[in-house]
Amino acid sequence: MNQLIESAKDIFQNNKAAIIIGYTKDKSGRTKPFIAHNSDEAEKLTFNHHAVNNLAVYLTRLEKPKDGKIGIVAKGCDIRAINALIQENQIRRDDVLIIAMNCNGVVENQNEEFSKENTQIKCKYCQLRTPNNYDFLLGELEDFELPEDSQQELMNKLEAMTPEERWNFWESQFGNCIKCYACRQVCPLCYCEQCIVEKSMPQWIETSSTTRGNFSWNLIRAFHQAGRCIGCHECERVCPMDIPLTLLTRKMGMIAMKEFNYKHGMNINEPTLIGTYSTSDNEDFIK
Amino acid sequence: MEKVEEKFEPKIAAFVCNWCTYTGADLAGTSRLKQQTNARLIRVPCTGRIDPVFIIKAFENGADGVLVSGCHPGDCHYNAGNFHARRRWIFFKELLDFVGIDSSRLHFSWVSASEGKKWVDVVDGVINSVREKGPFTQYKKINREFEIPLETESKL
Amino acid sequence: MKSFIVTRSQINSLAAELLSKNWSIFTQSEDRKRFKQCESESEISVDGNGKPSDVSFKELFFPKSETLFYFNRDNEELTLLDPAEPGTKTVIFGAKPCDAASVPVLSKVFNWDYNDEFFNKRVENTIVISIACSYSDESCFCTSVGLSPFSEIGSDLFLIPTEKDSFILKIVSEKGEKFINEFPFMIQKEFEGTFDLENQKASFPKEKFDFASVKEWLGKNFKDEIWNEVGELCLGCAQCAYVCPTCHCFDIVDENCGVSCGRRVKNWDSCQFGLFTKHASGHNPREDQSRRYRQRVNHKFNYYKQRFDEILCTGCGRCTRGCPVSIDIAQVLEKIQCKQSAAIV
Repeated sequence: MNQLIESAKDIFQNNKAAIIIGYTKDKSGRTKPFIAHNSDEAEKLTFNHHAVNNLAVYLTRLEKPKDGKIGIVAKGCDIRAINALIQENQIRRDDVLIIAMNCNGVVENQNEEFSKENTQIKCKYCQLRTPNNYDFLLGELEDFELPEDSQQELMNKLEAMTPEERWNFWESQFGNCIKCYACRQVCPLCYCEQCIVEKSMPQWIETSSTTRGNFSWNLIRAFHQAGRCIGCHECERVCPMDIPLTLLTRKMGMIAMKEFNYKHGMNINEPTLIGTYSTSDNEDFIK
Repeated sequence: MEKVEEKFEPKIAAFVCNWCTYTGADLAGTSRLKQQTNARLIRVPCTGRIDPVFIIKAFENGADGVLVSGCHPGDCHYNAGNFHARRRWIFFKELLDFVGIDSSRLHFSWVSASEGKKWVDVVDGVINSVREKGPFTQYKKINREFEIPLETESKL
Repeated sequence: MKSFIVTRSQINSLAAELLSKNWSIFTQSEDRKRFKQCESESEISVDGNGKPSDVSFKELFFPKSETLFYFNRDNEELTLLDPAEPGTKTVIFGAKPCDAASVPVLSKVFNWDYNDEFFNKRVENTIVISIACSYSDESCFCTSVGLSPFSEIGSDLFLIPTEKDSFILKIVSEKGEKFINEFPFMIQKEFEGTFDLENQKASFPKEKFDFASVKEWLGKNFKDEIWNEVGELCLGCAQCAYVCPTCHCFDIVDENCGVSCGRRVKNWDSCQFGLFTKHASGHNPREDQSRRYRQRVNHKFNYYKQRFDEILCTGCGRCTRGCPVSIDIAQVLEKIQCKQSAAIV
């Protein structure tokens, strides 16, 4: 990825950014997040099919550098997260320098070679292959037909079930949750300073990892993503118990699309869905 | 002894806004309209104040059904609280439906301060619908981990 | 202690007999997620080749949520009730040496200034049958913390696969001996030869760091750049702590089940959460992730050694495999060792 290293060095040499959040390959060959602070460290930057992480999560976690912008290497889905953060007034466009990558799909398992079939679920219904908000655009977009979306099948299956069957499905899934909160920590849009599960007067959501406590945690987490989730699938990727968490957030996204024709993180000038209202919203279900 | 089968009486948690529905329910009372008594009213300032976590908490604490009610659109004491709430409910009811809590357990309504009669109709309707659906055994089952196990109790 | 030769079918009959006597049997689930309870002997897995389960078997001794007592208020009278004792006799089949080694390590802290009766009871009631491990990937580092794929620490019985469907069954602990004596069909063919461990050493994961130098460096260097390097990448979830076989922090909370009754419960907690050290005043002594990560490494490789003379790590590599941002703890320790070597020169 010489193109990326060159631009990164150029950014540091001309003081266009103070740090660059990107990916590197470690000694064991894992592609992982990395923060470059100067042009020497920029040498280590890379981008490949294993660059799965959504780096936008660092934009709200890192302290803002005093002497310049935060540079960030971003794929299409990461750009949606950055756009969403700008829409939600968490960061300012002027504070970030976006080095956009044309992405041809990513593979979750670091030991697997990229192929059309083994891409992450999000790539199977990728909604932003060509970044729409950037300072630099690198990489070549290969002609690539989206593979079959296997999650949609599961979604259809669930929707066809009776409520009781759906409850049983989720009861067994949520029963596995160990409450490590990796889903929250890895989510670029979970940026609350104090999460609702940490509020203890009263304790709205039980911290116990029992089925009941897990139900309320996962439901409320999904609800807080309603109309906001940008579909990067990080929560599901990091879940040590492999709970299909994105089914819930994707469902919320489908409703946003159906009811409001809205997709979050596509346009930084659009007001947020859940922060606004319309007098003509659907109210068929209200007596 | 003859076993008397106990008739199921649903417990309903009703989150109502202070300015319209609560006053409407009050009017139903002062007008001496007859209504069923299965609903416990929880008065909140505005439907916009109702965090969906309240509804989950109600189910956790044994509610068989939940009713959420407030001012008609345009009548909100705080101008837009109910508009914001309505948009949230659209998502929340679908989310609950998706995990298996269908719309027979979660009801929404607009009842103004002058609609004592409508309140009675709404609350009776909700209670009947939940009674027909039966006790919320699924949530009660996952609640059981928290209850004192019977075998422990009998040891005493 | 003695060793015997057993076959896979003998192990299955052992499991079948245990099930008929109402023992609980746990083994690694097929998808290698966690240890699951078996309902038939065909489910048990004794497989030295497989990857360690994503979540360790710690939850069988130290559950993720455990009731300490129940409370009930009837009129003005308050009654407290003990939960049922963890009394089920349990056998764990096919634990990895890096799982088994965590039991004695945890026992030290759970019997430090207070004897945790729940934990002790579970250990007492559980027989751990481990199997020599022939799996290793880039995250494994058991050899760096004084263990090995053949280490028997914490096991009651130890299996070494010899040829297809045949194992050497080593009796490791007295508890294991007492247990296996009840099943005479398991101890018919004594293994008389000696197992050549030296031959196996070539396939062990390579030693990634020297523990003594790491500990020495940690003892002397509280403030260092390295913590910022890791801390700025670490996202502060507790995945590493919850999958870890040795992490044992917990939080105690009260939860209600209605108006007048409830329970006090002990839940897993982690030093990687900001809330873990936050004072009521709002002050947080470990206010950023670099300090929290420093605590994690120091607790595992410095403080615990000082206090209990054990390393709070079995080198299973679970934390690294599962880390959302692929932080490799062995690589961090390698770096620390380099720093220590540089300091000596």
